[in-house]
Formats: sequence, structure tokens, C-alpha cells
Amino acid sequence: MIISADTGGTFTDFVYVKDGKFKILKVLSTPDNPAKAVLKGKSMIAPDNLEELIHGSTVATNAVLERKGAKTAIIMNRGFEDIIEIGRQNRPELYNLFVKRPEHLVKAPLRFGVPGRVSKSGEIIEPFDFDEAKKVAGQLNDLKVESVAICFLFSFVNPVHELAMRDVIHEICEGPIACSLSHEIMPEFREFERCSTTVVNAYVQPIMKNYIGNLEKNIGDKNLVIMQSNGGRISSTTASKEPVRTILSGPAGGAVGAFEISKQTGYDKIISFDMGGTSTDVSLINGQLPINVESTVSNYPLKVPMIEIHTVGAGGGSIAYVDKGGALKVGPLSAGADPGPICYGIGNEITVTDANLYLGRLIPEQFLGGTMPLAKTRLERYFSNLSEQTGLSKVKLAEGICDIANTVMEKAIRVISVDRGYDPSEFTLCSFGGAGGMHACFLADLLNIPRILIPKDPGILSAKGMLLADCIRDYSKTIMVDYPIPKETLNDEFQELRKKAISDLSLEGIAPNDIFIDQFVDMRYKGQSYELIVEYGDDIRNTFDQVHEKRYGYSNKDKACEIVNVRIRAYGKNEKPDLDKQKQSNTAVDNDAFIFTKDCVFDGLVVATKVIDRSKLQFGNQLTGPLIIVEYSSTIVIPPSRTVRVDAYGNLIVGKKNGGF
Amino acid sequence: MVDPIKLEIFKNKFSAIAEEMGVTLNRTAFSPNIKERRDYSCAIFNASGDMVNQAAHIPVHLGSMPMSVKAAIQNVSINPGDMIILNDPFKGGTHLPDVTIVAPVFTKEDSTQPLFYVANRAHHADIGGMSAGSMPLSRSIYQEGLIIPALKIMKNYQIDEDVLSLILSNVRTKIERQGDFAAQFMANKIGIRRISELIEKNSQETVVLYSKALMEYSEKIMRKTLKIIPNGLYLFEDYLDSDGVDDEKIKIKVGVEIKEDQAIIDFTGSSKQIQGSVNAVYAITASACLYVFRALVKENIPANAGCMSPLTIITQPGSIVDATYPAAVAGGNVETSQRIVDCVLGALSQAVPEKIPAASQGTMNNFTIGGIKSDSGQAFAYYETMGGGTGASLREDGENAIQSHMTNTLNTPVEAIEYEYPFRITNYAIRHNSGGNGLHKGGNGLIREFTLLNDAECTMLSERRKFSPYGLFGGENGKAGNNLLICKDKQIKQLPGKFSLFLKKGDKLRIETPGGGGFKKAQ
Repeated sequence: MIISADTGGTFTDFVYVKDGKFKILKVLSTPDNPAKAVLKGKSMIAPDNLEELIHGSTVATNAVLERKGAKTAIIMNRGFEDIIEIGRQNRPELYNLFVKRPEHLVKAPLRFGVPGRVSKSGEIIEPFDFDEAKKVAGQLNDLKVESVAICFLFSFVNPVHELAMRDVIHEICEGPIACSLSHEIMPEFREFERCSTTVVNAYVQPIMKNYIGNLEKNIGDKNLVIMQSNGGRISSTTASKEPVRTILSGPAGGAVGAFEISKQTGYDKIISFDMGGTSTDVSLINGQLPINVESTVSNYPLKVPMIEIHTVGAGGGSIAYVDKGGALKVGPLSAGADPGPICYGIGNEITVTDANLYLGRLIPEQFLGGTMPLAKTRLERYFSNLSEQTGLSKVKLAEGICDIANTVMEKAIRVISVDRGYDPSEFTLCSFGGAGGMHACFLADLLNIPRILIPKDPGILSAKGMLLADCIRDYSKTIMVDYPIPKETLNDEFQELRKKAISDLSLEGIAPNDIFIDQFVDMRYKGQSYELIVEYGDDIRNTFDQVHEKRYGYSNKDKACEIVNVRIRAYGKNEKPDLDKQKQSNTAVDNDAFIFTKDCVFDGLVVATKVIDRSKLQFGNQLTGPLIIVEYSSTIVIPPSRTVRVDAYGNLIVGKKNGGF
Repeated sequence: MVDPIKLEIFKNKFSAIAEEMGVTLNRTAFSPNIKERRDYSCAIFNASGDMVNQAAHIPVHLGSMPMSVKAAIQNVSINPGDMIILNDPFKGGTHLPDVTIVAPVFTKEDSTQPLFYVANRAHHADIGGMSAGSMPLSRSIYQEGLIIPALKIMKNYQIDEDVLSLILSNVRTKIERQGDFAAQFMANKIGIRRISELIEKNSQETVVLYSKALMEYSEKIMRKTLKIIPNGLYLFEDYLDSDGVDDEKIKIKVGVEIKEDQAIIDFTGSSKQIQGSVNAVYAITASACLYVFRALVKENIPANAGCMSPLTIITQPGSIVDATYPAAVAGGNVETSQRIVDCVLGALSQAVPEKIPAASQGTMNNFTIGGIKSDSGQAFAYYETMGGGTGASLREDGENAIQSHMTNTLNTPVEAIEYEYPFRITNYAIRHNSGGNGLHKGGNGLIREFTLLNDAECTMLSERRKFSPYGLFGGENGKAGNNLLICKDKQIKQLPGKFSLFLKKGDKLRIETPGGGGFKKAQ
């Protein structure tokens, strides 16, 4: 049995395939030791026949966010010890007189410098001082340091000093000290970003190793696979060495899930839209998973490739209020799970969820399968108050709250589409997450997106994505050369990365013939200081100009350019489970599917709206809005302007009433 | 009628447009100064040149951008497809390297009177003048570079090659300038396109109505913020070290009078304008005042003309805070602006001690290195500013080695410098124990040491080398900054706060930036 397990704040979701169908299990999470929930689910699904457990863990992310990582030191060139604190010198907020950086992962007494300097060409311009290095190692011992980040300038050109430092530590230090070397973790230029990535790795490494070790003890070390933030999976051995690659992997699972499901349905250009309680994640997938190297966690840049996901503070729990200037604001403050929206019974601030309920778009009887009552009567008083404050009718207010949340999410989608040179109307909006279905159609209208796909089981898409993910490893190196350079030189650089990839992936158990490698170069016009990732081919110059034109609206064929990094992505393709497709299409909707009809508000008008049970819908069913489609973990609102059909896998495809799908 | 829902939606829309302009400018620009250090601002203006929204970019451009835009539209008749370029500090500019490009937004129906304007301002690493980097120790504006009055650089969608060629002929790094100008045009084009879409989707009347409502919105919140400050007249004075020509200190004096929901900020009594380059034009003084009051507002309000309405700023023309033509002004933007902030904050700390921190480093440590690369024969010009300590407050210690107040530009990575320029950074660290002692300690400054691999001209424009950042309520002052030359023969020379020197390969410059002031006496 192959199982995926995705640890979330409230539930740990499990997905597995049985008899050609996805099966789902939800187990309450155990935040003190997330492994408990994982093991519980595993023993419920596959007590003794586990082949593989693919795990999306939040252990590394939480260790950073909660500052609960290992006691970590940093060793840099002497005179550069504080780079991790100085960062890029800018402050996170412009108009804040009391600006403070977040608490540092490595504080001043644990930052060390050792003389020794390499130039940009790799030449040693100041010798490494072994005596000083030994002194530092001695201090690590005395201070009982658990993990060390070693980051020397230009180590990606010549790593000799980082390696020497590691050897000295291994020679001198008594206890086991984990060493993260910057040229291994992220061999690219820009010292702060490289250092930051290395420090985050060092900070979480012992924690992750311990966590994985604990799981392996229970299920066997061959059987555990970990989800990374680049959208690929990796063996637990690799993940415990480079845990930085697992940070923010939860949303990555969602994007992979959205992409795989959409591809299956026939759409490979999608915008994934995952609206939860406190925030919304969006990602633009144009035929392949979008990768960026500009993520941050708690203000620390991470330059490892991750699926490009943009997050905004708008969710079902976002609070609505009137600010001092008289504008109606929604979020980013959220009522969260505690106290939660007013209708959950305790909260006393109006949230987006409350507004949806007020408009009749949430069905109290059906919420979480009817297991959680919603206190609709509590809303009246709060809506009356806010209505008096704003001079707006209660209905207008409720619709306004939804509209504002939609505008905030629209802005997020513009950032990843329009700002990058893509027209959102050419994409399918793939909506999931608890609150996504209530907003997807309205959001699509704002962005002129004709088609919306709502996958089956939208609440566990992230776990599904993990089950479907390929094994992926990324490699890169700064070479900083003027274009053109002889093909052989570039091929030599690629060859070096390929060799490493093939050797690493064979350790992952992938046969050389099953390994696929994509090659890229990071290029820029000479003088620019941002690079674009370009697929390597015969005419990279031309490709670069085109990518630049697409992304930034102009290109300059005559301008000299340079190759900053070489980059490869190595895959071991995962065999996708063979899924049952419903064969018999049936246009007639089963009578059981209609639960009842109720009044809902659309565009200020009260409209009689059918409430539909999603589990009773079948392949080929076609329905016209207005509709509310309910299922266990989500509610889908189809306004009067839209129609919906069910595909052979049970996904919902929403189109325009007059425009087809 | 303005509706609170639409108000919020339009707030989002306008800010998204200004931000998208910024993203475009940042991504398409060529020079590290714009791309890496993000030394630029983008904004939207209404038909009379009042600012509707500026993205949160560079505070010193806050109050000054509208004056440039007004100068542009008053002096040039503008048609669809035109763009106006200007950098004249006496017409709303700040200093010559900050070049503003203004473009009109017309509706389909009316091509005579623009409905909105978009504009962006970017700091160009060179705009000609007596020293590379155009941040010289000058004595008149003529030495500082090319003065561009409001001119059409784009006519009917075509670049005016004559104007462009005149500008490029006067600067040291032409290709970089050309790339940066192209990025500025692009940013405006995006702004025009987005505003036009906004007008198409809504109606012209609605967009105009809400652009006005946004100004009223910001004004309302600004007035509520002022109302919390006790009425009264609060005085403060502080000094600039020197003008770089002689060693005389320069006084800045301010009286901040709070009257209910408005503030009168009076600089009468400040020094006369001086020979050297730290004169501030009125636009800078206005920006600095606006920055302080904007920072007192907790809400995330759009930076626009409404924020300015409750503030009255009084200056004497011909003074250090309102310099007149042809004063040298290169440093007023970067240095004097910081001291003006220190003074206004110092005055306000008497009114609301819990809301105001002690002085931050109070300088930007503007450093330029320029010359000819000995291997390739190519000219190079490098400019950077350095962070320092911030002031402590009633709540907590100051922050170390960070940009404060009127700037928030990024550093250039050590490895990026070494790839690009003929010098090397040989020390870059926090300057420990430089923050002022106190119940809460001021933040520490930083140390940055440059080793030349090539003969080069180095120019430094820095402050707080003599008069250190003040502590408050018994907190000690932060340590003053320090500039040192370490010659090849290891001889160490103390350098003044402002210098311009031809240095030799192997020479080292060590810059130590000031610490922030402490708050209350240490226990």
C-alpha cells in the first residue's frame, strides 16, 4: 500500500489508492509530536502492508517560525560574521519608527569568523588560518553547539575553505555536530541569500533528522519518502540532510495536486487557488510547475527552488471592520479557529464566512456534513451594528465583504499572472481549500477567467498531490560568464551537475534509464542584477530575449548578456496510479442529489437556489446556476451566470452560461 | 455618494497600479542602483497634479514628486503619447540624479485634457557633473550634473532622440542610463494601461470620484492621528556637521505646533543656505515632514495629497531647508533630509514621548567610487548608501545596521561587487558598542571596508561624524560615525565626513557608521 500523509494544523490528511479509487482518511493532528498522528493513520490504513509513506511535514517550517530549532552557530570569513543579521540593510516596513527584525536564528555569540579568502576566480588571496579554525571549533565544543552553518565568500567557485573548516570541526569537536556547507546547499552567488539558506538548513537539520529517525524506527527506513517544496518527493535520508528543501512543502503539495488533476482532465494551463481560513495561496502553472528561487521564511531568504506560490491574508476567517477613514476593510486579521467566525458560536467579529452565511451561500444543515451547527441567528445583531456604522444595507454589506476579499485575492492572482506577462483569461482556475468554492466563480469573473475546475475532494488536494509527485532534485551553480561561450564549456558545467544528479538519484533507487534531466541557464543582460531562468537549448540567446520580452515587456537583441548560473532539474518519474474513470455518462441528475431550495443573494437580489449534494452527482450531469453544491469539507457557489458539469473523474467543470466550458 | 465598499476596492486598485509600475521599473531597469537598491518611486496623480497614490517606495520622494509633476504640467503642453522628463531640484526635484518622468492618461473621448498622470522617479547612478556618481562636494548646482528642465522626451509615442542624445552625451555610463530610461518609460506605460482599464471597467466619473475620496480618506486618518497629540508648541534644534567646504556647523531649528487636528512646522531660525552641497530644497523639507507624520499613522493609508493637507510647513527661502537657485543641493536630499526628520521627531518626542524613538544614525553615508577599469578601459561608477543604528524607544532597543527614515535602499552584495567592479569589500560587520547606552540601547552602526584594485576617485558624503545621534530622556548619544583611509603602506589617516579623493590601488577606506541614541538612563 502506498499512502500519503499531509500534516496540517487541525487534521493530518491521508490519501491512498484502493481498487482504482482514491481513499481518504482524516486523523486529528498531534502538534506536540506530529509523528503520532502519522503513525496512527498508517496503522489504520496499512497495519502490515505498507510499501511507501509519502509525508508532507511541517516540522522544519514550524521550527523556524516558532524559533525552536537546534542551537546553531555560523562560521564565515573573518570580518563578515554579521552578514546574516545585516541582510540587505533594508527594513521590512517603511513607515514604522520602531522597526525590528524578527528574532535571529543565530545570535551574536554564536557567529564566528575565520581568516581565509577566495577571489571570484577561485584563487586563494588570503590563506585559511587553521589555528583560528581550531580555536573556533573548540568554542563550538564548549558552547555545546548542535549544528553549524559554514559559509565563505565565493565558496561556490572554490570550496576549499568550507571543506577545511568542516574537517577541523570533525577533528576537534567531541559530540556529533551537523555541518551545513553553503557550497553544497546552494552554490550560487550573493552571500547573504546563500548564507541565509544554509543557516535555515543548519537550524532545522537536527530537529528534522530526529523526527525522521523516529518515523523510520516505526515504519522502516526504506519506506519513508518526504515531500519537498519544489513539488517533488525525496528519500528521508536526503531530507534529513537538506531539510531546507522541505520548508513550505504543504502548499507545494496543493499545487502539484491541482496540476496533476487538471492535466488528467485535459487542462494544463491553470491558476491554482487555495483559499483557507486565514490565507489564500495562488500559483500560476503554465504547462509545468512554476519554480522560483526567491522565497522567504520569517524574513530569511531561501534560494532553493520552490514552486512559486503567492500568499495573501484573505480567507474565510478574515475580519471585516470599518477603519478610521470610513473604508470597509477585510483582513488581514483573522478570527482563525479560535474564536472563529461569529456563526461558529463564540466569535464576535464579522468574517467572510459570516458574510457568506448571511447571503445564504453556506448551508448550516450541511456544514461539515451537518456535524457542526452554525449559529445564523447570532449574525443579525452584528450585521445591524456594522450596517449602522456604514450606512449600507445588511445585504449590501455582506456582499461588499465578499467583494473586498475577492479584490484582495484578485490582486494576488494579478501579481503572478499579469505582472509576469500572462493573461489570466487563458487559464483555468483550479479552486480548492475549505473556502475556495464559495469565491471561485466571482474571482474568475473579476479576472475574465472563463473556466473553473473544482477537483473531487478539494479538501485533501495537497495530500493527493504528494501521492502523485515525482522524485525531483535540483542542482545549480554560479558560473558568471559572458555570452556567448563555447558550447563545450557549458556542457562541461552541465555534465558536472548531471553526474551528481545521476549518482544521487540512483541512491534514491531510480535506475539510470528512468532519470530525466531538464537543463536551464539563469541569464541576464549585462548590468542587470536579476536573472531569468531559461530552458537550455540551441539558441539560448534568442530564448532569453523572448522570456525577457514576455516577463518584462521588452528585450534587446543587441545588448550583451551573461550566464549567471547553470541549473538542472532531475526527475525520477513516479508511476501515477491507474484511476477508475466513470464510463457511463448520464445527463439526468439523480433526484437524490437535490436537497432543497433556499433563498440566496446574488447581485443584491434574492434568488431561489437549489442546494445539491455533490456525492450524488454523476459523470455527465449538467446543471445551471444559481446553485449551492455541498460536500463534507467545502461548499461551492455557482452564481446565476454559470453552468457546471461533472467529468468522468468526479471533478466539477464550471463554465459561463452562454459561453460553454 | 462614496460607499465604504468601493472606497476599499479602489484603494486596492490604485495601489496595485502604483505597485505594478514599481515592479516593472525594478525588473526592467539596468543599473544595480535601481534594481538591487530599489532607489525609485512610482505614483498616480489627478488632473491637477495632486497625488492619488504612491507605492511604498522611497520616502524622500513623497512630498516632492507632486511638485515635479505640477512643474511638468505647468511648463509643457502635453498630448497623448507624450512623456516629460525633468530633474530640476528647484522645480520639485530633489537632486539631479533623481530623474522624474511624467506621462498623461487621456480618455478615449477627450485627448485635450488628461484625466490622470502617472510618474516615476529613479535615482540614476550618474547624471554628469564634476565627479563620477554625481554626488559631488560641489559649490553650485552646475557642478552636480546636467539640469533637465521639464522637456518632452517622448512625443506621440516616439522617443525624442535629440533630447535623449543630449542627455546621454553628458553622462559617464550611457548604456546603463539608456536602459534605465527605457525602464522608466515602460513603468509609465503600464500605469497608463492599467488606469485606462480601470476607467473602462468602471466609469470615468466613478474613478475620479474615488481618486478624490482616497485623498479625503488619508486626510481624515491623518487628522485623527494629529488630534491625539497634545496641543502645544514644541521646539527642537540639531546640527549638520559641515557643508564639506568649511568646518562650520549648520543649524536646523524647528517649532512644531499642534493645533487640534493640524500641525504647523516652522523652520524659521535655521541657518542660511551654504556653499557646499547639503542644501535642501523645499520639496525635500516637505517630504521629510510628511514622512514623520505618515509614520505616526498606524493604518496603512495611501500616501497622497490628503496626508499633506493638515500640515503647514513654513520655511525661509534662501535657508538651509529652502535653498534657492543656484545652490548646490546634491547632499540635501540624502543628508539634510535625515536631519530634518531628527529635528521634527525631537520636537514631537516632547509631546508624545512614548511614540518617538531617539535619533537614528541620521545619515545615509553616500559613497561613490568611479574611474576607468585598468584591464578593459571601461568607465565605471558605483554608488551606495550604508545603514546604521536606529534610536532606542520607550519600548525597546534600537535595531543594528539598518536603513532608517528617509531611505530604505538595499546594499549591493559583496560577491556582486567583486564580479562587477575593481574593488573588494574586506570587512562588513556590525560596529559593536556604537549604540548609545540607556535603559534601552541604541542600535549599532556598521563597518564597511573597501580595498581598491584599481586607482579610483572616491567621494564620501556623510554626516554625524561630529554631532552624534541624540539620546532621549537620559539615554546616551550614539557614537558618531568615522571615515578612515588605510594607505597601502599601512598608514592610517582620519578623513572628514565629506571628502573627494583620488586613491591608489591597494588603498583601503574604512567607513564606520553612527549608532542610534539610547532611551532613558541605564539602570
